[in-house]
Amino acid sequence: MKPLAGIRIADFTVHNAGPFCTHLLSQLGAEVIKVESAMRPDAFRKPHPVYGRMGPATFDQVASTKLSVRINLKKPEGVALAKRLVAVSDVAAESFRPGVIGRLGLGFEDLQAVKQDIIMLCVSSSGQSGPDRHFAGYAPLFGAWGGLGEMTGYADGPPVEMRHVMDHTVGMNSAVAVMAALQRRRLTGQGGLVDVSAREVASSLLGEALLMAAAGEEPHRIGNEHLSHAPHGVYPAQGEDRWVAIAVTSDAEWQALAALIDESGLAGDPRFLKAADRHANRAALEPVLSAWTASRTADDISELLQGVGVAAHASWTTPEIAADPHLRTRGAICEVQEPDGKHRAAVGVPMRLSKGPEIGIHRGTPKLGEDEDYVYGELLGLGRDERTALEDAEVIY
Amino acid sequence: MPTSPLTSLRPLDSLRIVVIARGVAAAYAARLLGTMGAEVVLVEPPQGSPLRRQPPFLANQVSALFAYLAAGFRSQVAELDTAHGRATLGALLSQADILIDDTPLAERKPLGLDEASVAQSHPDLVHVSVLPFGAHGPKAEWKGEDVQIQHASGEGYLLPNGLAVEMFPDRAPLKVHGHFGAMQGGIAAALGALSALWARPDVGGQFVDIASQDATLAVGAFAIQRLGDGSIEHRVERSFRYGGVIPCADGYVELLTLEQRQWEGLVKLLGEPAWALDPALADSLERSRQGPMINGNIRAWAAVRKVEDIVREGQALSVPLAKYYTPAEVVRDPHEKVRGLFQPVDTGAGVFDMLVSPFQFDGAALELRSGPPALGEYNA
Repeated sequence: MKPLAGIRIADFTVHNAGPFCTHLLSQLGAEVIKVESAMRPDAFRKPHPVYGRMGPATFDQVASTKLSVRINLKKPEGVALAKRLVAVSDVAAESFRPGVIGRLGLGFEDLQAVKQDIIMLCVSSSGQSGPDRHFAGYAPLFGAWGGLGEMTGYADGPPVEMRHVMDHTVGMNSAVAVMAALQRRRLTGQGGLVDVSAREVASSLLGEALLMAAAGEEPHRIGNEHLSHAPHGVYPAQGEDRWVAIAVTSDAEWQALAALIDESGLAGDPRFLKAADRHANRAALEPVLSAWTASRTADDISELLQGVGVAAHASWTTPEIAADPHLRTRGAICEVQEPDGKHRAAVGVPMRLSKGPEIGIHRGTPKLGEDEDYVYGELLGLGRDERTALEDAEVIY
Repeated sequence: MPTSPLTSLRPLDSLRIVVIARGVAAAYAARLLGTMGAEVVLVEPPQGSPLRRQPPFLANQVSALFAYLAAGFRSQVAELDTAHGRATLGALLSQADILIDDTPLAERKPLGLDEASVAQSHPDLVHVSVLPFGAHGPKAEWKGEDVQIQHASGEGYLLPNGLAVEMFPDRAPLKVHGHFGAMQGGIAAALGALSALWARPDVGGQFVDIASQDATLAVGAFAIQRLGDGSIEHRVERSFRYGGVIPCADGYVELLTLEQRQWEGLVKLLGEPAWALDPALADSLERSRQGPMINGNIRAWAAVRKVEDIVREGQALSVPLAKYYTPAEVVRDPHEKVRGLFQPVDTGAGVFDMLVSPFQFDGAALELRSGPPALGEYNA
């Protein structure tokens, strides 16, 4: 069975981080009811010129497997309708700037008044408290504030901006926190407020560097290198813009790699025998390894090195990932169907459960308001006339 | 250790976890659950987990990585290749709710750590396997450090963007700092553990198979979505048309204006120069086309200004801007001080501020129980 079957989430999240959280939970079996309106449709229903998308998306990863209803939260009747939805939900999730949801009349205390044990998830750029709580932000800003951008990059280059992996990491952390809050509610009956700060998620990914800084050190970005392993990096492979990632983590692995390179004296070269020496002399080692990798394909090198116990993998392009038998066997890549019947690759939930093989995406992007018969009719018991009146009043809109 | 009122309300207070961790992913999963209240026992060989020997190092070769990952853990030494060691582990597991293990697949059966053996001995246990490429599939036995995980998952090939790829277009693509990929595996493992725990009253224990590759791919899902839209992303084309990493006189800022009003705020911030007032640039598509010209002007403007001034004035105009903070600046950040992101802990090499958790419950920061454990301090 899907493990979260029976959990219902009223989903007011927007952009990417919050929706990815509820997307993960929906794939695990939660019933996620996505709240939108024609006035403020989700970003994927609109063009996105910054990314070169000139019309609505035909499939949206983070909206798949969700149900869709329309509620106009600008109207008091819309807020009242949202509260009715929350009253039959276990979790309410939102990702507006701190303060906005409260001004709408849907803050934590408002929701507690209609559902005493509600769990409310608030995702924001800097958290619900602190002097910067009002800051607007996107993934690259979270990475910049959190220190992850500064620590990523070539040692002699500038910091690097984080992209949507940053948003989605926030979403996955949020899903963990929501599940913990549900666990507490199961044992104590207590709901609660979950506050996830995106910049703090970024910081949490460099906790060791922050600890070094707290101890007075000055950590700096090091590209693909490692602080003690060598060789460790991304090396040119045969073909244009093709690369392979190789990491040697022990002297024995170095001997295995050196035997494959088979260059006179390499395996016995005292500069490279011991880990500390290899690291100190890595500038001399890199050209030797690069010369060997450059005449072979990245996948061939990976097979060869993995065969002798050395970590290696091609730096894969997106089409290679979408076609990979390993990822498809695991359900990490799955096929979904678009409304016109076309199939395309999508990303599944990142786990396999021995007693939950059904997890994953089971429907594509919902149309705006597609599930109102079920949500308004069955769940909330609204009659046809009542719904029509709310539609005419642009509350269901 | 005394229990504070807050500690008694942590969401996972009653949970017991056993973790066997050579790598970051398994340890990070346990850390996430531990900071929310679970009791975590790290089972280590007599020489200690390999994580204790991973850089960076504080004084006296104390691993900052281990200190961060294992804060709040207890440590139990058990030689799992001996009957006594396996009995020690078995006793711990009989009291536990969750086992998190990253032992390579080939070594599991002799140690009694394979899926079937654990399920037979502990049918109500949630057994979470965390490996670079998972426990199932043609690459299940493959080794993977973070540089492999990230480059096998798509994001590696797509980095860097913006200024860095402009400056170094011919260099190898780049991983994100540190253990980004393994930590994604850890976060997914924590989610898998709690999901399986939720289902336990109905189905009993089960096996949760986590691959750091899958988890890193999941957070990079939009590249696959774009592929389905007919577009293959590349690190050069993926750069923002304007904005991004902007060099200033004394550091870098990140600038990203996605909405019209943000662009209008940026024009004001720049002092409304003639080029920015060109009516054609009121259109977002035209701005996209003229991105290099716009960025050239933004960079020339920023190069002679200080980061703090740009950020302060930009935030007042609601222009999304952020300073690229160094780790030291994050640790000293007044915002994080108010939120209690850091807590002083004894690392074994001194008492230093350590990041606790990126989320809070009920308006209060979580608390770490302690710093990292001494080897075997929990031994019976």
